[in-house]
Amino acid sequence: MEHQPVTTNPFIIMLINMTVVFIVLFVLMYVIKLIHYVDPTKPKEETKEVAPVKAAPTVAPAEPEPAFSGIPDETIAVIAAAVAAAGISGEVRAVRPINRNGWKSSGRMQGIERM
Amino acid sequence: MELINAFVVSLQSVWFDSGFSAFTAGNGIMIAVGLVLLYLAIVKEFEPLLLGPIAFGCILANFPRTGFFDEMGLMMAIHYGIANEIFPPLIFLGIGAMTDFGPLLARPATLLLGAAAQFGVFISLAGAMILGFDVKEAAAIGIIGGADGPTAIYLSIKLAPHLLGAIAVAAYSYMSLVPLIQPPVMKLLTTQKEREISMEQLRPVTKFERVVFPIVATIFISLLLPPIAALLGCLMLGNLFRESGVTDRLSDTAQNSLCNIVTIFLATGTGMTMNAESFLVKETLLIICLGLVAFIGGTAAGLILGKIMCRVTGGKINPLIGSAGVSAVPMAARVSQLVGSRAKPGNYLLMHAMGPNVAGVIGTAVAAGTMLAMLK
Repeated sequence: MEHQPVTTNPFIIMLINMTVVFIVLFVLMYVIKLIHYVDPTKPKEETKEVAPVKAAPTVAPAEPEPAFSGIPDETIAVIAAAVAAAGISGEVRAVRPINRNGWKSSGRMQGIERM
Repeated sequence: MELINAFVVSLQSVWFDSGFSAFTAGNGIMIAVGLVLLYLAIVKEFEPLLLGPIAFGCILANFPRTGFFDEMGLMMAIHYGIANEIFPPLIFLGIGAMTDFGPLLARPATLLLGAAAQFGVFISLAGAMILGFDVKEAAAIGIIGGADGPTAIYLSIKLAPHLLGAIAVAAYSYMSLVPLIQPPVMKLLTTQKEREISMEQLRPVTKFERVVFPIVATIFISLLLPPIAALLGCLMLGNLFRESGVTDRLSDTAQNSLCNIVTIFLATGTGMTMNAESFLVKETLLIICLGLVAFIGGTAAGLILGKIMCRVTGGKINPLIGSAGVSAVPMAARVSQLVGSRAKPGNYLLMHAMGPNVAGVIGTAVAAGTMLAMLK
């Protein structure tokens, strides 16, 4: 239904609209918090704080992280050779498949592009 | 003799029916504008997916005697889709399917940055009224500051259809120029130290949250602001396709084939509104200037609230993500990332800036709905 605008004062329109936008998005912010609060699938993070802290047992110096078991030795050898051929000093301590997460991949791509 | 006579008459007939005989200087200027836009799209790669078809539509619109809008055909069908609010919600369906709401759900306070960036909309609304536009025209012009093409078209059709061409072109042009417009404002309003702030990793968002949010948000916003139910509903439906995990085919169609097809129609149709008679007027220049003011105002307001949030949180928020509160998904977020990584290499703000960026889309739609409720 069309009707006459309630006001034609630009500053009142600006004030009313900004207030409404802020209120709606503010309520939406609490809707998101409520969804998170009632989420039955969220991991229980509180249990970590309750657990008593034990003295860390004395352990031997950490071994190098083992190569991921699903990667063939030949592949690891090729990767290590490629790293050495690129002139990067040090040793290959671990080889893991990339977690195909879009954000991480994007970050890695940007890092590579900068190189 | 008869042969020569018939030949001359035929040639005359071809000439008088051709576009050349009705070609005006205005048509020439607009074709030149279209060629410049094509250059920016193809050579400079300024949003080529949007600017390319807009530019070509502009060139097509300035050929006299094409009769595009005299009888039903492809061009009239495309115009029908724009004039009857069919394409903007379909584009929103694709945007919803393409957009990850995770960063917004992980840090809901960024919704406020999306709200702050709408300040540009209302600055230009006030400016337009001061310059002599009526309140409905001013509202339609102001929404350019939301940097959201589909919403700008949606509101223009409802409040000021005669300004559709200039508003749509200004909105899409500025969206494509985000990487040029925003960085100077960002550097002006933030210190080097603020730009170097690294933000903490966001918490993981569960599937439950991702699925429930679009449903609840649709119910809440559509009940509050029914005029934008089509826009918001399609945005959230597209996102639900993406997140539900059981509608992969629909999600794929919405974010690829459907979105690409509708983009071609919407962008070409927008360009087709740029004919010399309606575009080469004083109002177009004013609208383009006001759009720039709106864009800069929105960027500045987002940055200022970002700075306030930075202080309140003890330096945990990089104010640069505030500029992503103007919609322009995901260009504005990319610009935050770019400026942040230039200040400090390895500073990844993209994910954090997506929160306000998505909030900006919702905020612009809410601003449009509020203005429709007040002014229509």
